Amino acid sequence: MTISHHRSLTNQCNALKSTGPRSVAGKQASSQNSRKHGLNSAPDFESSSEYRALVDLIAEEGFSAFVCADIAAGLLNYRRVMDAYYDTYASPEPVDEFLRDANMKASNPIFSELLSPSGSEPQDVRDMAAFFASMQRQERRKGGLVSRRSSDTHKLIRYQRNGIARLSRAVRQG
Amino acid sequence: MHFSIDVDVAMPVEDKSKSLLPFLSSPKLLPNESEAEFQSGLQSLLSQLDNPSPLVVALVSQLNECLWWIKRHTVDKELLLHEAMARLLFKAGSNWMPSGNSKLSVALEHYLDGIAHKDEAALIEQALTDGNLTLSDLRVRAFKDAAKYIKMVDDLIHRQHQTIRHLQRSIDSIDYKSRLIKRMDLELAALESKQSVKGVLSLDDKPS
Repeated sequence: MTISHHRSLTNQCNALKSTGPRSVAGKQASSQNSRKHGLNSAPDFESSSEYRALVDLIAEEGFSAFVCADIAAGLLNYRRVMDAYYDTYASPEPVDEFLRDANMKASNPIFSELLSPSGSEPQDVRDMAAFFASMQRQERRKGGLVSRRSSDTHKLIRYQRNGIARLSRAVRQG
Repeated sequence: MHFSIDVDVAMPVEDKSKSLLPFLSSPKLLPNESEAEFQSGLQSLLSQLDNPSPLVVALVSQLNECLWWIKRHTVDKELLLHEAMARLLFKAGSNWMPSGNSKLSVALEHYLDGIAHKDEAALIEQALTDGNLTLSDLRVRAFKDAAKYIKMVDDLIHRQHQTIRHLQRSIDSIDYKSRLIKRMDLELAALESKQSVKGVLSLDDKPS
């Protein structure tokens, strides 16, 4: 089915009216909406007091100033990755047990009852049941708590690999 | 929301003010984990080193954390299997249980640990009968179902092993460097003493 010209124009007009963050603070807040672990953002270690303290202490071990800076940044970066690794592992997406364990066939009368006051058709009930069934499939596919935390942590492997390679390279070049 | 325990890593270096650890975030433990066990692992690693420098202590602390992660992930492999077994039992059950999968999971956990109550054991045995399964059948099927996640956990364990290798190489390179400096110092001292003896001899050879 093709969308009529009138419908297409209406969609475009509505899109122009679409609400979103307008203030600077709102835009700032919504820019963090999809932030998960923050490991893709460039860290600014050099301006931190920990970095300067680490550089001074490592310098006492006889490394050159350049190597000290590399090792300090490598250590702080590795800790950043391991903190994110722990946070991801310790707080997986919670399991919706009700949705996962619900018997969808037995729920059809409930859907009918819910929709009947609005005078809906049997097709609407079937649509609603199909919608919940697809949500249930998605929930079940994600598995239990241990499966979720394993797959979430698995996504951070590359960050740990890069973090330790950077630290190890810095130490060995000294 | 989750709770964690920050480990206050004991600093075995002679001068604690020179430790790098206060400037690095500490490894965190889950609420059911023993801090004493974590510390004893770290101390046993450090005891194998002869007067470690602050940088080596910081690296060994990271290494100990990797060993801890290997332990956690190994436990997770078994838990994944239990999770899949509970899911299969739930599917096999002929009646929909209003209490859901979680009651079955707890009962199965107790059943496998051999600490199940009478009603828990009955629940598991009934579910096994409903599904026409034995416990070993269930375990095999669960392994097949959970294979994808078990592979992920294996990858995580492998990553920790690789990280340990990197850290060991770094510690070795620091150790080698300090040995090299010591050796050069000794050679220099030997050369200087040789030179001074030569100087004394040449002075003695001069005709008066």
